[in-house]
Amino acid sequence: MAVAGKGGSGKTSISGTMARLLARDGRKVLAIDGDSSPNLALTLGIPQDRMSSMPTLPRDLLDRSGGGAVLTKTLEEICASHSVRGPDDVTLLVMAHPQHAGTG
Amino acid sequence: MRSVIETAPAEDVCILDTEASPEHLSRGTARYADGLLAVVEPYFKSLETGRRMAALAKDLGLERVALVANKIRDERDLAAVEEFASQHGLEIAGVVPFDEQLIGAERAGVAPLDFDERSPAVEAIGKLARDFVGER
Repeated sequence: MAVAGKGGSGKTSISGTMARLLARDGRKVLAIDGDSSPNLALTLGIPQDRMSSMPTLPRDLLDRSGGGAVLTKTLEEICASHSVRGPDDVTLLVMAHPQHAGTG
Repeated sequence: MRSVIETAPAEDVCILDTEASPEHLSRGTARYADGLLAVVEPYFKSLETGRRMAALAKDLGLERVALVANKIRDERDLAAVEEFASQHGLEIAGVVPFDEQLIGAERAGVAPLDFDERSPAVEAIGKLARDFVGER
C-alpha cells in the first residue's frame, strides 16, 4: 500500500506505526521510504546513525536496455545489501537520499 | 522504485511512504501498490491535496483508495472530513485523533510506538492497519 499526504500531515508517523504494528501481528513487512527527505526510519524506531552508514541504492540497479526497466538484482539481494532491519523485524528500504531527489 | 514494488512478494505487506507531491503519484511511483491511503488533516488545503491524490490513484487503477483523517481534535474536525469525503465520493479508512504523545515522540526523537504504545493515535493507527490490510 502507498501512504501519501501533504508535508506535515502525519503520513510518515502513520506509515511507520502501521508497519511496526502489522509486523507485531506476525506479518513480514517491508517499509519503503520513497520521500526525497527520508525520515521513515525515525518513526520506525531505527536510530539515525544506522541510517547514515547505509549505502544509497546503486544507479546500475535497473537495466533499461530492453526498453522498460528491469531489476538487475532480486529484491532479496537488494534488501541484503541496502536495507536495515528495525524493531519488530520491519525491513526498511530507502529509495533516495536528499541529494538524489527526483531520481527515485 | 516501481520495479522494486513489482517484485515485492504478494504475501507480505509492503508500505510505501511516498512523496507529498501529487506529481510523484502521476509519474507512477505508486502505480504498483494495491491501495493508497491519502492522509489528510481537517482543513481545506489538506483535504484538497488528499482529494487530488485519491483521484490520481484511482486514475492509475489502484484498487483501494481512501482518506485517513488525521489530527482530529473534536466532532467538528471529524464532521469537516466526513462532509468533504461524502461530497467527493471518498471513503474514510480510519480516523486518527490529535495526540500530544506523537508530539512528545517527535520531541524525544523516538518512534511513536516506542514513546507510548497505548496512546490514542497509536491505537487508532493499529485499527486502521488491521482494517485496511485485514486481520491476521
